[in-house]
Amino acid sequence: MNRTLTVLLAILLLSSCREGDDIAPAFYTCGFTFSDSSAENENNSKYQNLIDELVSNGVVGMTMSVYQPQSGIWIGGSGKADLNNNIHMKPCNISRVGSTVKMFTATTVLMLAQEGKLELDDPIADYLQADVINRIDNADKATIKQLLQHSSGIFNYIQNLKFQTASLNDLIKEWTPDELLSYAEGKRAYFKPGTDVRYSNTGYILLGMLIEQIEGKPFYEVFDEKIFRPLNLSMTQFAAKNPVPDGIVRGYIDLYSKLQVVESTYFSGWDYFTADGGLISNPKDLNTFFQALMGHKLLNAEYLDQMLTWKSPKEPDPEFFPIAYGLGIFRIETPSGIAYMHSGDAIGYYANMLYFPDDSTSIAYAANSNYGKIDEFVSTKDATEHIISALKD
Amino acid sequence: MRNIRHPLIFIILLLYAGTSFGQSKALPINLSLFNQATALPFTSFFSTPVHPGIQIGTEFNYSTKAGSRFFQTANLSYFYHNYLAQGVGLSSELGYESRLKNGLAITGLLGLGYMHTFTTSEEFTFSDGTYHKQNDKGNSRLFPSLSLDLGYYLNPSRDSSPKVFVRYQSWAEYPYSPGFIPAMTHVNLHFGIKFFLHKNDHSHE
Repeated sequence: MNRTLTVLLAILLLSSCREGDDIAPAFYTCGFTFSDSSAENENNSKYQNLIDELVSNGVVGMTMSVYQPQSGIWIGGSGKADLNNNIHMKPCNISRVGSTVKMFTATTVLMLAQEGKLELDDPIADYLQADVINRIDNADKATIKQLLQHSSGIFNYIQNLKFQTASLNDLIKEWTPDELLSYAEGKRAYFKPGTDVRYSNTGYILLGMLIEQIEGKPFYEVFDEKIFRPLNLSMTQFAAKNPVPDGIVRGYIDLYSKLQVVESTYFSGWDYFTADGGLISNPKDLNTFFQALMGHKLLNAEYLDQMLTWKSPKEPDPEFFPIAYGLGIFRIETPSGIAYMHSGDAIGYYANMLYFPDDSTSIAYAANSNYGKIDEFVSTKDATEHIISALKD
Repeated sequence: MRNIRHPLIFIILLLYAGTSFGQSKALPINLSLFNQATALPFTSFFSTPVHPGIQIGTEFNYSTKAGSRFFQTANLSYFYHNYLAQGVGLSSELGYESRLKNGLAITGLLGLGYMHTFTTSEEFTFSDGTYHKQNDKGNSRLFPSLSLDLGYYLNPSRDSSPKVFVRYQSWAEYPYSPGFIPAMTHVNLHFGIKFFLHKNDHSHE
């Protein structure tokens, strides 16, 4: 018996520690046709010093882009794209940018409204099948605009502890929209539609379904047609087409808050097929998108104004900037001024993009590491404030 | 614990020690294979993918009555959760078993243990301004547990009858991820056997 047990344990333990893939530097080559004049930018040193500082604190790797009307766009990178193979981060490298996709989802829905294919005040129930609507509290009453603004009150499936433990139980599972919606099923809505705002990924799953219902194709193909290709966002794609595409930097998590990281590149499977996450991009493309959006290249003045209609939560989060919710976008009050923004998390990745309407500056950055102590450098209120002030002031 | 570089060595040493103790004192051996899952207590039974684990232990009685007994266990366990963690645990449980004449037995167990968890993939540690590959020294955990099991004594009339059992063990891992996830809940579904290496005429079942 002891021999059998020993053999069994030996098999388990010998296969117990996974090493990273051997990847050649060419894997991370960017297909990037961009005339980069960052080195001539008058703030080149200031911007580069900031991301070098963040990396020296413990962020594995960072990419950043800053656009200012007077000096154009700057892009930079620092740290590592791949620790196992010791590959440096390049400014063009792509990574997961998580929920920043919600601004793309909202823009697409607003473009469909602009084309007369839907009305923002229509109930979502007018477009989606009853078997989807009937399983989610408030879905029968919520309007498209309320879903966009997180004012539908619909329960956020990510907040379901059963989902959180289930997603950890199978870190490489690729979740279907139906499976994700099941974690909002039977959960009471937070409030009556339109009476408050509270972030809900579930609402954005429904909006992805809405886009598919109207256009008759996957929502990410609609992103391709309406946003990625017209704006030449050549480094932007959606995970459903290829969850771990060539060139994507490795992701890392500091799960135990010790600046001890393990690779998580293959972990983010719950948003590969839904419009609440799953975007892969780089800060240059995110910045180009934000500038185009604010420059009326995607939405006309009427619909951009609708997008920038703000509603504040009844109970503000004391640990973040004063915030108001627009349609797929947020407005925050920072010491450096008002910013429109959306950030995004995936397991091992973080991204943020901000636009300052007072001077039309926009900033986008991405880190290929998160959680634990690393969040203190890239995603908390203090971290965001530090980054903004270092770039703007 | 910090000096033990490989969990396998630790497990084998304790396995032999436990077996020897069981022989000399005629204590039973409890051996189970289990499927570990991160899950809320009592919300799932058997989940996939399977994350394998093994537990070996023994138990001794505090009191026995006709059809019931109050006892304590001592266990050594190991689990491997793909992509997340592997852990070696030492634990003890207080148990109460109610046994029917037909051999069926229902048991409840309340336990507390120490676990050392390790990553299942390469770890990189930040020092001197950059990340370096480093051997994982693991993380210390407490793990309280609550288990229910349904067993069957193969020879109900014998004190030293082997028993097969299915055990539903719900346990928490604390601390888990400070500032992010304070504690993690798990469920282990055990399929096991209790047996004596030698005939035990003095035990009271």
